[in-house]
Amino acid sequence: MNFELFLHYRPWLMAAEVTLIWSFVTIGLYLLSKRFHRRYKKWWTTPIIITPILLIVITLLSHTNYNVYIRGTHWLMALLGPATVAFAIPIYRRRNIIVLYWKTLSIGVVFGSILSIASAWFLASAVGIDETLRLSLLPRSISTPFAMVISGEIGGVPELTALFVILTGIFGASFGQLALYWLPLKSKLSMGASFGLAAHVAGSSKAYELDNEVGTIAALVMVLTGIFNVLIAPLLEAILS
Amino acid sequence: MLPYTFKKLSILIKRTFHKSRILQIALITFLWFIAQEISLLSRMPIPGGVIGLVLVLALLYFNLLSIRSLALGAEWFLAEMLLFFIPAVPAVLNHQEFFGWTGLKILAIIIVGTMIVIIGTAIIVDFSFYQLEKQSKPEKKQ
Repeated sequence: MNFELFLHYRPWLMAAEVTLIWSFVTIGLYLLSKRFHRRYKKWWTTPIIITPILLIVITLLSHTNYNVYIRGTHWLMALLGPATVAFAIPIYRRRNIIVLYWKTLSIGVVFGSILSIASAWFLASAVGIDETLRLSLLPRSISTPFAMVISGEIGGVPELTALFVILTGIFGASFGQLALYWLPLKSKLSMGASFGLAAHVAGSSKAYELDNEVGTIAALVMVLTGIFNVLIAPLLEAILS
Repeated sequence: MLPYTFKKLSILIKRTFHKSRILQIALITFLWFIAQEISLLSRMPIPGGVIGLVLVLALLYFNLLSIRSLALGAEWFLAEMLLFFIPAVPAVLNHQEFFGWTGLKILAIIIVGTMIVIIGTAIIVDFSFYQLEKQSKPEKKQ
């Protein structure tokens, strides 16, 4: 290969390097922490808590800008799209649940969505958060792609909302397990609904770990909540302004 | 002869699909890609992933696609879901204002709010489940 040509393509090469290195680091850390979690089963050893902390430390130590990091690992986040599609299979397998309990499920979705938006609004007002941040916090319990659409529509910052959505998912998935253990719940329906509603994809994924049926309900409620919230977003905008 | 070969070939393709996880992952990604295009072209505020989910449900319902040619791939996507979230978290580094009071406040809102939503939703669904169950039980017996 001509050396001149090689130098000429250097920016291209650097982009490839960034993608390779940071994807490798992210996937590697994820696999390691997964193995670690399998050995030491504690709520704080879950890969979604350990891996980002290690990543933040590494990016800070290597003086890497987040914009560079995300350029290299954006394709991993894009896989959330096909992952949403993949939820069709468990939902289809347990479609009889929807037919049987559609009333309870719709009550859960409507009530839970209102609770989620209202709690964010009142808590943010109580501690004195400025307007844009408060609006960005509102759609945080629905899955990322939905939440970003809604956030933009009601006057928040979609990028910030994505971060809040993910923090909510991490916390909801970890806390949900604990809460449902302590609450005197009798139905799998209620466990699945609260996982799916409060912690979207992260909650559904956690719910799958616990029980197949609970996971299915969580996934279903997550999707229904997302659609319901997109539908009420214009209404919300009218109320807020 | 020719239709016979064609049939044989289609069976062969089906069988490899039912066994191969990578092919199924590719198929799911392809279906998502189509859904994404539909979402962009129709200018609906519904994300591509959800259109894809409904699309796959329809394909399965009308027997245009068998569940066995997706199951392994879907299993993989659901099991490794957490990995796809991770790259978004270091975004906090771009917001210096979060390393302080505002950050703590937001964290508190997220934690308390999520607890309220989890507990509230669980209780209301549990309650309505038993209310509706009580109503429907006599119907079942008749």
